[in-house]
Amino acid sequence: MKAEEVVPRLQAEFPSAVQSVALRPGVLARLEVDPGSIVPIARWLRDQATFCHCSMVGGVDWVERREVLYLLWSDEFRTYLEISAWVPGEDPHIDSVSGVWRGAIWHERETWDLVGIRFVGHPDLRRVFLPEGYEFHPLLKSMELHEPEELEVKRRHV
Amino acid sequence: MSEMWVNMGPQHPMTHGLWNLRVKIDGEVIVDADPEMGFLHRGIEKICEYRRYNEVVTLMDRTCYVAGLSWEHVYLMAVEQALGVSVPARAEYIRVMSHELQRLASHIMWYAAFVQDIGLMTPFLYGMRDRDLILDLLQSYTGARMTYEYMRVGGVRNDVPVGFTDRCRKVMDWLEEKIHDYEALCDRSDIFLKRTVGLGILKAKECLDLGVTGPMLRAAGVPRDLRRDHPYSAYPELDFVIPTHDGADVYGRYRVRMEEMRQSIAIVRQTLEWLDHHPGRVLAEKVPRFVGTPTPPPGRESYILRRGYPKGRGFAAIEEPHGEALAYVINEGAEHPYRVKFRSPVMVNIAAAKDYLVGYRVSDIPPIMGSVDICVGESDR
Repeated sequence: MKAEEVVPRLQAEFPSAVQSVALRPGVLARLEVDPGSIVPIARWLRDQATFCHCSMVGGVDWVERREVLYLLWSDEFRTYLEISAWVPGEDPHIDSVSGVWRGAIWHERETWDLVGIRFVGHPDLRRVFLPEGYEFHPLLKSMELHEPEELEVKRRHV
Repeated sequence: MSEMWVNMGPQHPMTHGLWNLRVKIDGEVIVDADPEMGFLHRGIEKICEYRRYNEVVTLMDRTCYVAGLSWEHVYLMAVEQALGVSVPARAEYIRVMSHELQRLASHIMWYAAFVQDIGLMTPFLYGMRDRDLILDLLQSYTGARMTYEYMRVGGVRNDVPVGFTDRCRKVMDWLEEKIHDYEALCDRSDIFLKRTVGLGILKAKECLDLGVTGPMLRAAGVPRDLRRDHPYSAYPELDFVIPTHDGADVYGRYRVRMEEMRQSIAIVRQTLEWLDHHPGRVLAEKVPRFVGTPTPPPGRESYILRRGYPKGRGFAAIEEPHGEALAYVINEGAEHPYRVKFRSPVMVNIAAAKDYLVGYRVSDIPPIMGSVDICVGESDR
């Protein structure tokens, strides 16, 4: 398969799941996909299209809804592929791709920690940076940056 | 003997920063490991949303305190894509040169700290002595030794001073000679070899699955280096090779870093040659005016959404001294970025700790974790 064939073949394989395709500099393409079929798409990209490296998983808060970003790298095509899935702002959740790339485990933990997107089927969805028991997700737009204050948090290990 | 959990950290000489490695041990043998991060989390991604584009550069130096210029570079590449700013060629060369000097400083710092962990004191002093020469060079044109605040949207703040290239060449000649000393001190030391060869093995398949990048991946025999595979800045015009090793162990990572330092010296020499013959601007002529104006204090119009600026997203990837660093910037037409997301190579490399620690002994943890090249400021952000 050539790099240009990846997106058309993915569209042929998942006709309803790939919602839009855009070309952007620095990446092969930016795909917006249906959040429900992220795991089969991820598995197809890894097995059929050599995107063996999950470089980054991130989240963006757009107030009414949230965006989950995946950046994948292929050693064969030497290019990145950007995948974006939109999830609702109320109880945001998406299936975990940690079964496809083990490297996604910590990225998904970080996204849960900072942006509050729950990854269904994640083996170990603990917070990474903030202490367990902290009730906020700091990268949400509803969190204003202000002066530090005392917060009571549970101890990590007792 | 029963198994038990032991906390190595947050304050332990092995951590080289502030994080906690929880290991489950059965006698002396490690059976499980659970790294715990976040002790140095400063919320840099959140603060970025409240700073103008040029002000974020200050935070980038604090992101990684041994390789600040590489983080400035990756962030600004993403911002320039998001804002549609083009960079003059001379600025690109100065950025590449700074990036490679920074890589040298970072690798020498790694070498000094790592070899001291193993018990050899002399290499630490040698390393610190030579790193200072690079910091002197950086100081001569950025004005600072650690927190540079040197790059700007559209280029760099100022050109290198007169006579800089000759001074830099002298330092490169000196370093090239000293790398032989570094190797001679380690490669002929039985202590060093016994504590590095065959330890902390992470094979290529696991590296790819776990997302491990940088010298750890190249030490496993995978020749992935974004400077060549996903070229950026002035790298397409420069000539260098990607060192690899097939040991996949601590010793292999040491060998890869030593060779990378030689390649960095070669790249710096090429950029100096180019800089000597191509005078010109170092800052783009057309830069949106708002990127440089100061931010009002928080609470007062701290996040102004002024319609009318072009919107866009920027994405950049570089090969940082520790591995693959990514920056993703969303510009929603405001004076501040809407969202800035970084990928820290160190976080991913630490996250894989269980895979390269299990089966080894407790006394092997300092050399194995040392070979990862940990910068906690970068992994916690």
